[in-house]
Amino acid sequence: MTAATALPSAPQLVLGRRRIPVILPKLGDPRLKLSAVIVMLQVLGQTVLDFKLSIAQILVTIGFCAVVDTSVTLWRQGVLAWPASALLTGNSIAFILRASGTKHGDWWSLHGIEWFLLAASVALLVKYFVRPGGRHRFNPSNVGLVWVLLVVGPLHVFPQYLYWGPLEAPVIAALVVIAFGAVWVLRAVRMLPMALSFLAPFTLLIALFAASGRSFVAIWEADTISGINYWLHICTSPELLIFVFFMMSDPATAPRLPAARIVYGAATALVAAALVFFQPTEYGIKVAILASLTIACAFVPLIEAATRLRGREAAEAPAGTDPPALSARWRTAVQRPASVAVALIVLSASVGTATLTANDDLILIERGMAGPRNAQ
Amino acid sequence: MRVLGTGLGLLLLAASFVVGSDLFGTREALFGSAAAPLRASAFSRVVTDSPEAATQRTVLRSQPWWQQVERFRGAAGQTTVAPRIRDDAIQWRMKWNCTSGRFAVATSGAAKPLIEARCPARKTVELVAKPAGPLTITAGGRWQMQVEQQVDVPLTEPPLPAMTAPGASRLSTGRFYRIDQVGTGRVTIYRLPNGRHALRLDDFYVTPNIDLEIRLSPLRAPGTTRQYRSAPAAFVQMLETTTGSMNFMLPKGVDPSRYRSVVLWCQNLLSAYAGATLKPPR
Repeated sequence: MTAATALPSAPQLVLGRRRIPVILPKLGDPRLKLSAVIVMLQVLGQTVLDFKLSIAQILVTIGFCAVVDTSVTLWRQGVLAWPASALLTGNSIAFILRASGTKHGDWWSLHGIEWFLLAASVALLVKYFVRPGGRHRFNPSNVGLVWVLLVVGPLHVFPQYLYWGPLEAPVIAALVVIAFGAVWVLRAVRMLPMALSFLAPFTLLIALFAASGRSFVAIWEADTISGINYWLHICTSPELLIFVFFMMSDPATAPRLPAARIVYGAATALVAAALVFFQPTEYGIKVAILASLTIACAFVPLIEAATRLRGREAAEAPAGTDPPALSARWRTAVQRPASVAVALIVLSASVGTATLTANDDLILIERGMAGPRNAQ
Repeated sequence: MRVLGTGLGLLLLAASFVVGSDLFGTREALFGSAAAPLRASAFSRVVTDSPEAATQRTVLRSQPWWQQVERFRGAAGQTTVAPRIRDDAIQWRMKWNCTSGRFAVATSGAAKPLIEARCPARKTVELVAKPAGPLTITAGGRWQMQVEQQVDVPLTEPPLPAMTAPGASRLSTGRFYRIDQVGTGRVTIYRLPNGRHALRLDDFYVTPNIDLEIRLSPLRAPGTTRQYRSAPAAFVQMLETTTGSMNFMLPKGVDPSRYRSVVLWCQNLLSAYAGATLKPPR
C-alpha cells in the first residue's frame, strides 16, 4: 500500500505523473502551540532580552531542520509532511545555543552558524538512526545541544544564560509567556504532574546544595554566586523553566504512562542535581541540566517497564502492549546496535558533563579572564 | 551498506565520547582552548634571576607591557653585550644615547647594523626578531643603552619593603568589582613611614587595554561610567600591566582619606572599567 492510497482525502502535489500526498499541520497539534510559545520568547529575546543570537541564526537552523526532515519523510514515506517536529527541533536549538562572539542586535549575522547546523544535524541523525524498538529514544534538540556543548566546547559555543536580566518588564513578560505557555502546552500533553515531579525534588536539592556552601561563577556576575543567590539563579531561571516545561515534556520521548511520567520527572531531577552538584561554572550547570534529560530519556523503557511491573498503571495500559519480561528485554537490547548507541550517548553525556568540573578553561571564561581569547 | 553505516555511526559516537570528555586533550587539540599556554610570570619591572620565576606559571595574560632587561654604558671603543630577551617576548627595543662620534650596534648574522648613527643622538629602536647572538657596540664616545622587552605575562611584584616596615600602616582596602569590564582582585592603600602613600594591587586582573589609569573617586561605589564621572577623581598612576600584583606610589598632594573608592579608568574610551570600594582594614 502506498502513501498515496493510504491518504485518499489528503491534498496532493502533482509532479508530472507523480502524485505526492501533502500532510498539513493541524491546529490542535501541541507542537504548534509549543512553537508559538518559543517564537514569542524569541521575539522578546531579539527585542528586549538582549539575546546574543541573530535572526539569521534562528532562520537558518529552523530551515535546515525543516528541509532535511521534509526530504527524509518524502524519501521514506512518499508524503510531503509539514515538519512540525523538525521545526521545533530547530527552534529549540536556536533558542538555547549561542555561538561565542555573537552580539545582540547583529540580526543578520551568520557567525558560528556551523555550530547550530552541527547541533541540528546530530539531533536529526540521532532521531532517525538511534531507534531501539522502532521509536526514537532521545529528545532531538536536547541530544544535539548536549553533543555540541560537550564536543565543541566553551571556546565556541555556550547555552543561553541562566540570568536573563533584572526582574523588570522584559523578564516579567518572558516569565508570563513561559507560565501561560506551560499551562497551554502541558495541559494538552498531560505533562503538568511530570513538570512538578521534576521541580519539587530539584529545587529542594539545589536549596540543600546552597545551604552546604556550593557556589558557581558566571560571566554576567563579578562575584562568586553562593547562598540564596545560588538557589535563586538556578531554580528561578527562565532557562530551567523552559527546559522543564518545553523540553522534558516531549510526548515522543517521555513515558506514556502517567505514573511513569512522575518517576521520569523525579529521576531526571535526581540526575540533574547529581550532575549540578560538582559544577563550579554556569556553563557546567546548564550542561548538567540538559544532560540529565539525555540520560533520563535512555531509561524511559526501563521506567515504563518498572512502573508496569508494580501494576499501578496496568489498567490504563493500551491493550496488546504487554512487554516481554524485563530481563529478556535487556538481553535482546544489548545485541542491537541502536542499544549500543544509546549506551554510548549516555556514557558521553554523563562522563563529558562530569569532566566539565575540572575544566580550567571554563573558569577563565566565566570569570571573563581569557583576555583576547575571551568567549561568550 | 547498512552494516558499514551502523559501524560508522557507532565509531562516531565513540569518538564523540573521547572528544566530549576531552580525553587525551582531544577537544583542546581539535577546537582550541580559551586558556593561553602556561608561561612564567614576571616578578619585577626589571628582569631578575628570581627563583620563583621558574616555578610560578600562569595562563593569564596582561596588556603587553615593557620590562627592563638590562642597562649598558660605555666609552669609545668596541664592546660586546648579551641582553637576555625572553623567548616569549613580543618585541624588544633599545633606548640609547651617545655623546660624540659614531654609534653602531650590530648582531651576528644580520646584514645591516641594528643601529648606525652620528652622535650626539638619542633614540629608541623597536625590533620584533630576537637578536641571533650578542650585540656588538662600536662607539666614538660615551654612550648609554637600555634594553627592554615587551611581554604579556602578569607582573607579580612583592610588596614594597616600606609597606611592612615599622611605622607603616594599612589605611584602607577593597575588592574590585565590574563596572564596564571585568575587574577582580584586592587593592590596599598604605601610609609609609616617610609619610607618603602607596597603593598595592593583589591577585589583580582587569580586562586588558592600553592607557588604563588608576584613579581615586570620592564616590563610595560608582556602578556606571556616568556615576563615576559625576564627581571629580584624582589620577594616581597609569596601569601598564593589567594582571598580577603590583605597587604604585600615590602622587604627592593626593590625600587618600578624601576618597572612598578606586576606579580603573580608560581615558581613550571614556569608560570606567572596574571599581573597588575602600573600607578600613579589619
